[in-house]
Amino acid sequence: MNPETATPRAPGAPAAAARGGRLPDHLIVAAIELVGAWLLAVFLLSRTTWLIVLVLALFGAALVVMRLRPAIEERIVAAFGRARITALVLGGAIVLAYPFLLGGNSYAIHILIIGQLYAVLALALNFQLGSANIPNFATGASYGIGAYTSALLAVTFGVSFWLTLPAAAAVATFFGFVIGFPSMRTRDTYLALVTIAFAVVVHQLMNNFEWTGGPNGLVGIPAPSLFGHSFNSPIEIFGYRAPGQANFYYLAVALMVLSIVSARRLHDSRVGLAWNALREDELAARCQGINVVWFKMLAFGVDAFLAAFAGTVYAFYVGYISPDNFTFLVSVTIMTMVIVGGMDNAFGVIVGAFLLTMLPEKLRVFNDYRLLFVSALVILFLILRPQGLFPQRLRVYGGRK
Amino acid sequence: MSAPLLQVRDLTIRFGGLVAVSEVGFDLGHDEVMCIIGPNGAGKSTLFNMISGIYRPTAGTIALEGRDITGMPAHRVAVAGIARTFQSSRLFGALTVLDNVVIGMHARTRSGVLDALLRPRRARAELREAADRAADLLRSLSEDLWARRHEQAAALPQADRRRLEIARALASEPRLIMLDEPSSGMDDRDTDALISDIRAVMAGRPGLSFLIIEHDMRLVGAFPERVMVIDHGQKLIEDDFAAVRVAPRVQEAYLGYKAVHA
Repeated sequence: MNPETATPRAPGAPAAAARGGRLPDHLIVAAIELVGAWLLAVFLLSRTTWLIVLVLALFGAALVVMRLRPAIEERIVAAFGRARITALVLGGAIVLAYPFLLGGNSYAIHILIIGQLYAVLALALNFQLGSANIPNFATGASYGIGAYTSALLAVTFGVSFWLTLPAAAAVATFFGFVIGFPSMRTRDTYLALVTIAFAVVVHQLMNNFEWTGGPNGLVGIPAPSLFGHSFNSPIEIFGYRAPGQANFYYLAVALMVLSIVSARRLHDSRVGLAWNALREDELAARCQGINVVWFKMLAFGVDAFLAAFAGTVYAFYVGYISPDNFTFLVSVTIMTMVIVGGMDNAFGVIVGAFLLTMLPEKLRVFNDYRLLFVSALVILFLILRPQGLFPQRLRVYGGRK
Repeated sequence: MSAPLLQVRDLTIRFGGLVAVSEVGFDLGHDEVMCIIGPNGAGKSTLFNMISGIYRPTAGTIALEGRDITGMPAHRVAVAGIARTFQSSRLFGALTVLDNVVIGMHARTRSGVLDALLRPRRARAELREAADRAADLLRSLSEDLWARRHEQAAALPQADRRRLEIARALASEPRLIMLDEPSSGMDDRDTDALISDIRAVMAGRPGLSFLIIEHDMRLVGAFPERVMVIDHGQKLIEDDFAAVRVAPRVQEAYLGYKAVHA
């Protein structure tokens, strides 16, 4: 999924390349994307518990196979790297057609929207936790600041959704820097404490200010519209209909694409390397000329920026926000997604976000015990893949191959 | 306009009541190698930490080519042209060998967040160019290291780790390299290889100077022109290796007063 950063280690490389002849890359890519999309649809639409459990078991089995036979994983990664265009075109087509493929099931689309917003949040946090090992427990707060900023602008001043997006991002980034600055004097556990305090303070302020609506939150956030098409009205193309949620689905897709592109570009850059360096050894990083304070603050800024986008889309999608949407627990959930998915691996982080959004929804049959089951499953996945579902990969670029 | 490369004057640092380094001063010219020896805990590494900006000295000055760098933060000292290695090697273990060297070029590359996001072509070209230079640098240092450039740095054997640290330090195109006990944990064969590595680096980079903290007299003997002895945070003597070896104060520092005067 991450072709440029993905490469087999030297010994595995010739073996994987030699096997490349037998199964064409395009076939592998198409099969994985189509089967993946189909299984996801089954998982989302099914009301039968055994079917849901079966899909999960298949996913687990795939992980086990990849753990036992790393060559298979390398082969798949290599295929995606070489058949990049096929992967992007087919993947894009599937993503665009998905709301229609789900037969307009608005509940399934809702889960996907929330999943994508969490994926964006997890990607945002990944810049810190994954790349630079900064334990930031305040991503949920930045999410909330973004949501409240845009909602207040829209409700109070009637500002259009499209203008509130950059405004929310600017405000949240500013606060990101504000919290980033004092936290530079601390590290590890203490840094985590500072961010926890920030998250709690933001939640309390939302709860207690008059102009934020207090515990009642903000209601009546108008639906955005684009070229006269309101996001509340259903989409109709060639007689196929998708419910109003599909509008927000596409908005979330756009946001997620933006996040993935940003993540890729930053990861494969001097900035990504500098973040990695300070994750590995801060003192050594300083001695290579890396301004540690500045790069940590940048990580806070980028995190807040993307989180605010997600917050804005959430606010306009649900139309109603309250402080309880942005508790400290939200930050913990986002952090779990990054850790379970695989730190510093954009694809893994997205899978982690979707998994942890969908599991609690689909395991509702277990009623009060569902969170217990979710936790047990997460622990099981982590036993299968201790470095996260899709751990970070070595970079490969140039270097006179 | 022939200011020495590095000018250290009366450098002192106190940690609470403990004076770790006291009024140490020396000059280092271009193209020079100076070895710093002394018993454990004498303050040698502390001296390095002050020069490289990790510790802020309590008193005294450090000047690089006439420019005062006393108390400058470590990342700016690196940009100014001082690179270093660490006693216990501090590589970026989870990253590739090549990544380590490219990060060493951080001070000599430019692109920031906005370049990476909005001008990816340019940022990527810069990085690729840096990677090519890093590969060449590795190759010039050791074919073996070059062959393993796409492997994780943590997987390297000890001698190669030290070599990679030197490569990373060289990547910033420094004017002064400080090696903190480069031969620690090495056997004689590795130490000999290290000595020839250092000689090769010097031959290829005229003007580059070295400060080397070392316990292994084999290595010190290979660069005998200037040796400084530090004990209890103070400079005992500075001379060539032959003179330092026989100086009674040095023997006292290493063996104790009684052993020398028995």
